[in-house]
Amino acid sequence: MYELLWLVPALPCAGFLILALFGDRLPRRAAPFIGAGSVGFSALVSFLIAYRFFTAPPEGEHFSQVLWTWMNVEGFTCQFSLYLDALSLVMCLVVTGVGFLIHVYSAEYMIDDESYAKFFAYMNLFVAAMLMLVLGENMVLLYLGWEGVGLCSFLLIGFWYKNPANGRAAMKAFLTTRIGDTFMAIGLFLLFVQLGTLDIQEMMQRASQQWAVGSGVAVAAALLILGGAVGKSGQLPLQVWLPDAMAGPTPVSALIHAATMVTAGVYLIARTHVIFELAPSAQFLVAVVGAATLLLAGFAALAQRDIKRVLAYSTISQIGYMFLAMGVGAYAAGIFHLVTHAFFKALLFMASGAVIVALHHEQDMFKMGGLRKKLPVVFWTFLIGSMSLASLPIISSGFYSKDLILWSAFASEKGSKALWFAGFAGAFVTGIYTFRMVIMTFFGEEKTHVHVKPGWVMCLPLVILAICSTFGGLMEIPSSIYHFPLFTHFMESALPAAPIPHEGLEHAELMLQVIAVIAVLCGLSIAVVAFGVKPQIARAVVATPFGAKMRDLLFAGWGFDWLYDKILIQPFLRTARFNKDDFVDLIWNGIAALSRGVHSLLSETETGHVRWYAATLSVGALLALAIVVLL
Amino acid sequence: MTLLDLVALLPLIILTAAATGIVLLMAVCRCHRTTALFSMAGLGLAVISLPFANSMAPNRAVTPLLMLDTYSFFYMGVMFVSSFVIAALAYAYFEKQDGRREEFYVLLLTATLGAAFLSASSHFVSLFMGLETLSISLYAMVAYTRDRRDSVEAAFKYLVLAAASAAFMVFGMALVYAEAGTMEFAKIAAARGALEQGNHLVLLAGCAMMVVGIGFKLALVPFHLWTPDVYEGAPAPVTAFVATVSKGGMFALLLRYFVLIDVHQYPSLMFLFTAIAVLSMFFGNLLALLQDNIKRILAYSSIANLGYVMIAFLASGHMAVPAGALYIAAYFITTLGAMGVISVMSTKERDADSFADYRGLFWRAPWIAAVFTAMLLSLAGIPLTAGFIGKFYVLAAGEESSRWIGIAALVVSSSIGLYYYLRIVLTMCESAEDEAPVSRPSWTEATVLTGLAAALLFVGVYPGPLIHAAETLVASIL
Amino acid sequence: MEYFFLLLFTGLAAVLVGAGLLTSYLVAPHRPNPLKNSPYECGEPTIGQSWVQFNVGYYLFGLLFLVFDVEAAFLYPWAVVFRQVGLTGLIEMGLFLLVLIVGLVYAWRKGALEWV
Repeated sequence: MYELLWLVPALPCAGFLILALFGDRLPRRAAPFIGAGSVGFSALVSFLIAYRFFTAPPEGEHFSQVLWTWMNVEGFTCQFSLYLDALSLVMCLVVTGVGFLIHVYSAEYMIDDESYAKFFAYMNLFVAAMLMLVLGENMVLLYLGWEGVGLCSFLLIGFWYKNPANGRAAMKAFLTTRIGDTFMAIGLFLLFVQLGTLDIQEMMQRASQQWAVGSGVAVAAALLILGGAVGKSGQLPLQVWLPDAMAGPTPVSALIHAATMVTAGVYLIARTHVIFELAPSAQFLVAVVGAATLLLAGFAALAQRDIKRVLAYSTISQIGYMFLAMGVGAYAAGIFHLVTHAFFKALLFMASGAVIVALHHEQDMFKMGGLRKKLPVVFWTFLIGSMSLASLPIISSGFYSKDLILWSAFASEKGSKALWFAGFAGAFVTGIYTFRMVIMTFFGEEKTHVHVKPGWVMCLPLVILAICSTFGGLMEIPSSIYHFPLFTHFMESALPAAPIPHEGLEHAELMLQVIAVIAVLCGLSIAVVAFGVKPQIARAVVATPFGAKMRDLLFAGWGFDWLYDKILIQPFLRTARFNKDDFVDLIWNGIAALSRGVHSLLSETETGHVRWYAATLSVGALLALAIVVLL
Repeated sequence: MTLLDLVALLPLIILTAAATGIVLLMAVCRCHRTTALFSMAGLGLAVISLPFANSMAPNRAVTPLLMLDTYSFFYMGVMFVSSFVIAALAYAYFEKQDGRREEFYVLLLTATLGAAFLSASSHFVSLFMGLETLSISLYAMVAYTRDRRDSVEAAFKYLVLAAASAAFMVFGMALVYAEAGTMEFAKIAAARGALEQGNHLVLLAGCAMMVVGIGFKLALVPFHLWTPDVYEGAPAPVTAFVATVSKGGMFALLLRYFVLIDVHQYPSLMFLFTAIAVLSMFFGNLLALLQDNIKRILAYSSIANLGYVMIAFLASGHMAVPAGALYIAAYFITTLGAMGVISVMSTKERDADSFADYRGLFWRAPWIAAVFTAMLLSLAGIPLTAGFIGKFYVLAAGEESSRWIGIAALVVSSSIGLYYYLRIVLTMCESAEDEAPVSRPSWTEATVLTGLAAALLFVGVYPGPLIHAAETLVASIL
Repeated sequence: MEYFFLLLFTGLAAVLVGAGLLTSYLVAPHRPNPLKNSPYECGEPTIGQSWVQFNVGYYLFGLLFLVFDVEAAFLYPWAVVFRQVGLTGLIEMGLFLLVLIVGLVYAWRKGALEWV
């Protein structure tokens, strides 16, 4: 069974190739079947492998498959090999499973688009690249997947490239993540030079043997990797691309936010957790970045008008929770939240996409309302997703995962009360902005006429994901309710358990849960009151000068774009303008001019006259003789 | 002459029989398709017979003239497959032309035979026989489209200059013979050891003269001036042959001869070769820079590429032979692909060798443009193509024996070279509303191009088998 | 150093030959007339231009003749050692002739033997 592992990335890749090469010639109806089918089969293989992994785990709880050796020169080997352990298995299931549902949904969502086949080709490539990233055994493959994901995000965000704004958003995403990628590439070079191997597991092993805890090189490597993770996952300070990435079609947003792309950073940290363990200061920074991001993004989500931007900020915020978990050493908790988040965020995006289509591409929540009756399926599934996002207790999967993170942040040796409080406050804000969104969209009076209703192809993935969002959390039930740590237990073979001292905290867990639940419910009630029952409250707050300023600040996502524009882009452009024909260019122009000059000089030798050719032949022979005889 | 000798000679015998057979066939019936198929069948059979001969009669010296070892069989295999591809391209190419087309395949087979002879020769006599068989067939091949002025002009230039260079070569052989008293490579090597220190000079002078002849065939600076003219004038399939098979045979010989006489003993010869390699890389790439004829660009690019592969020759380590073989194989695939595209694009009147022919090709014929782009990227050595693997191994071989000058020249000059490859790609991306649509390639052409592109990517992504095959050569040559 | 004499010898030879030519050019009387300037052709007066165009058929016949001339030249030594080389020699010569015959058949079918 494990030998089929190569099929998991190969199938979407094959789908991409078929669609890219023959997309124009195939009948239009074939595109979704190939696009969704390849990912679907890939998901099927993943599930079969997962079943096998549960029933008969491979030796050492991991399996590696060498497909072929790309090059092997004097001790430097680079292989095409896949590595499967609990972590990559979970990632595979999420990427293919959720990815498949998104593909199915796209089949209807994109049906009127002229580049139907191209869309599925890009989506397939996206999934394939992500699978390469999570399954690659060595850093080269991981980096290949990493860059592939970056490329596909660029292509898909700018999919409707005829609108220049979309092109700009794609460019912004690409350039911003590129900053992180550069850090990451330097980090990989550093690791390779210091540890002399590309194999990730080998690398981790050597790192733990050769480096002392807190040594400079470990901190440097961890910080560089963190740079890469921050870029891809849209965390502070590189989060600015993510809200703009909403320019792409909604299934793309779902794919970027739920199944691929943004989770890559979290995966990377989990994969290289050994290095972060060796660099406690860097790991603490991970937690701080996560905590800061989840708060800032949560508040920014409060003031958005565009339903997709609310979801984008909520993603940044939720990824912040995952980073927080990574930072306090609760890797399994972070990955658990990644899984549940994939369920409910994909659900929310696709449901919002259904709304947007129904309202004729209207994304402004202020123009929505009262859709509860018109779009019942969408409403209920969206509600379930929102409950999960806000982590309403017991009945939502988000509750279980977020609870685990909060508890780890509080109780873990690396955690602290401040980190817990940040997460707690974030949960409160999440409650507000989530239900603000629900109320503004589905309750109140109808403001825009419903244009079309989603068909069953779009509704089916919503229902499936709604079920997952409700019950997916039961994989891991906290001990305060009923001790059932299935997920963390499963992950233990790949990721160390969070170091939580058990003495004297038996009752704290339950207490913290109750506090958190109360906070969420408070947030929910505030939202209901301020935006549903008495909307004049919200209006009154905004009407005050401070409130208005605050709203504008939050609406602009804390003004990071403005800030970066002022301190980075403008000075850069000014320097560039000032230095338009600078001396560095002179060198390159000089080389080009030199090459041209030599070219025209040499061209003179090509006279076309045989006598001249024969003469050079003789002169060449004389020179050869002279060299050999005289030297 | 025993039966095993005949088995070892089988590939060469098959080729000879096929060439003779075609002559007879033409006497009986003139049919372009049958002739082409016959020649391709002959080449195919010869390829199939190679592993058979290699396993039945391994590393066998047949008379003092020929050394039929794994090394020569590898090069023969590469060359036969190339000739096979060229025969297919030529069939499609000459289908567009009028006149007598069948004789071409006789010439193709005899030229291939000459090149195969070169790769197996272990004696000056067989060297010269191979060289002349190859050259004389080539003169006629270059002039095959004889109603084109350029073609005839190129053939005459090639004839005069090749004859001159062959004269140098024979003179060099005479000098070597005068000093060593034998014409067998292996015995020259043995005699060399017995010479006193001072007496090496005549031997070296002889080698230097031979370098003229070899350098001419390989189009290395300063014996390169004929290349662009001949490439431009010859019909596209012949250009492909000049660029690949004729150079492959000569390179195999060069490596065998100079490795046997242990060229690394002589710093002056090494200096000569290094100078030739470095100059070839720079001259080739710089000359191609602003060139506006695609065939000439490929001519200059081949000068540079042979300069690269000279680094493998210069490297003395055990990676030299496999690196050279790998590079040659990768270069063959790439050059055949690029020339194949030109051949496919050519019309009855002229070969498609100007930039205008390729403007906006991506919109007019995306498949052909994609194949051409892949080939150009491979020539430039971009990863995941065969060219990258070849270049990488050449660099590794050079690094192993610290040929830093050559490596530096390779890196610098190939980055210059990127410019003109990308220039062609850029031209193909331009919008072309006023250009005529490209006529659909025949299925022969489509198969050949697809096959070459697939081979290019296969070697680039999964080079294991080829590398393994190349590495087995080391044992057989020494 | 021992090659120095070779160099000297080469130089000497060039000087000697050049000196001879130069001397004859300087010493010889120059009294040209049309008869002296006309090309020498076996003592006969020349007929017409030297740039006449030959029928291309001459070349074909010339080539064919050359091939079979060489064949005959090969056959003589073979006949001399016929007993020593035995059956192998017979087969080899047979193959050689076969190839030439194929060539002849080709030339015949192509019409190279017809005079036009």
